Amino acid sequence: MRQRKFQMIEFFLKIVTIAALIVGLWVIPALAETMYVKSAKTKMTAEPSARSKSLGYLSAGQAVKVIAKEGRFIKVSVGGKKGYIFKFKLTSKAPSGGGGGGGLDLLSGNQKMAAAESSSGSSIRGLSPISENYARGHGISAADISAVKKMESLSFSSSQIDAFQEQGGIGPYAK
Amino acid sequence: MKKLLIALMALGITLGLVTASWSINFGDILNETLKPPPQKKAAPAPKPKAKAAPAAKPKGGGGLIGILEGTGAIDKKTSGILRGATAVVQSMQPIGWEEERAIGGSLALEVFKNFGGQYKNDKLQRYIALVGLTVAGVSDRADIPYHFAILNSSAPNAFATPGGYIFVSSGLLKLVRNEAELAGILGHEIAHVAKRHALKTIERSKTLSGFSQLTTSILDSDPGVLNNIVKEMSTTLFTKGLDQNLEFEADKFGMDYAYRVGYNAGGLRDFMKVLGKTQKSRSVLLSTHPTPRARYGKLNAQAKRYRSASLAPVLSQRYLAETKGNL
Repeated sequence: MRQRKFQMIEFFLKIVTIAALIVGLWVIPALAETMYVKSAKTKMTAEPSARSKSLGYLSAGQAVKVIAKEGRFIKVSVGGKKGYIFKFKLTSKAPSGGGGGGGLDLLSGNQKMAAAESSSGSSIRGLSPISENYARGHGISAADISAVKKMESLSFSSSQIDAFQEQGGIGPYAK
Repeated sequence: MKKLLIALMALGITLGLVTASWSINFGDILNETLKPPPQKKAAPAPKPKAKAAPAAKPKGGGGLIGILEGTGAIDKKTSGILRGATAVVQSMQPIGWEEERAIGGSLALEVFKNFGGQYKNDKLQRYIALVGLTVAGVSDRADIPYHFAILNSSAPNAFATPGGYIFVSSGLLKLVRNEAELAGILGHEIAHVAKRHALKTIERSKTLSGFSQLTTSILDSDPGVLNNIVKEMSTTLFTKGLDQNLEFEADKFGMDYAYRVGYNAGGLRDFMKVLGKTQKSRSVLLSTHPTPRARYGKLNAQAKRYRSASLAPVLSQRYLAETKGNL
């Protein structure tokens, strides 16, 4: 009687194990979560600190594999390298053009880019020709056209933005 | 007995793995699955100079609905409802990036024209841009360029136009007391751009009814289309105001963006008290937005949800140092 009871329990456990195994195998590949870099020139560091050694910069839309979450940083793997990225520079939403990208861009800290470029992957361009035409047809003064062009052309280096954030203890430097 | 132990161990290991997988966000997976096809980012190749690609408008008696109505299978009221639903399905495609930039740039010109022109102070403009870029960099739409300028106007105002053009008036900067407040204000404006509030409003408006898609070639070849869009958006942004729920949404994300950067999340909320004391007639910010009191209430409730947020810096000394002698 006791032997039969054991056999039944054993059979039940086998069924449950097989079912759990099937569910597990289906879900396990998703454990390696993928995230995407939000904007251009996103710094990856060796440690979960913005002051640690820079490993390079990532392009907007670059896919990274999440290894672990540590405070305001996420440990990631990209292009065979492991490092840390400020967590609000990553998103779980894939870019509309598809993820991927070229891995780490090893840039010098002082490389110039537009103010816009410093936080985006978009190219630097002046006022749209359509907006220029609009200005001509609507009595917009040369001073106002120049003002829009000026705001579009304001430029910073990545190190200037980094220094501004470090001085204020904000962004990746926030405690 | 031995077999039983092996089975138990296998079950334990498997359950452990399944439990670990609970961290997966099934909501995100579902969202990705249900996501519409990717929008176009760049403008398409120039098309022949022609009017807009008009949406196929349902016409009386046409298509399956017409057949059903003709055979008496459905009555007029039902066919009307079905046609309405069809129109929604056939509504305009979201405005693309190049078109957004052209519209936003034209609106930016109108902002300078109507609100005092440029406040000329390079040092101050660079400071505002640095704060703004820091906030925009953690926003939900960090992959587009953002541009920042100061308006030469004593009235406290702030504007955002599509394409990432953000404006604050010198009058508003005089009321701001610290960088956390400024970050919250800029965050609110960045949220309008990130969430495409003005674009969504115009996409649903009568101005663009009949268009299935807006392209740069249409804007280029028919200036009347751009004129109408800019005119309607100017009325919305500078006179009527956006839907009040969109303003509350911009507050919500504006506060969150400032928090993500590491500022004291209460900056935008605290500025509402200051704004509430100013004269309404002088500010579009007051005449087109929900009352500072209503905004304060919602922001205050939100601020309580951030852990240790009140301990984060407001950077009043840096704000004062950067603005002193420049306003």
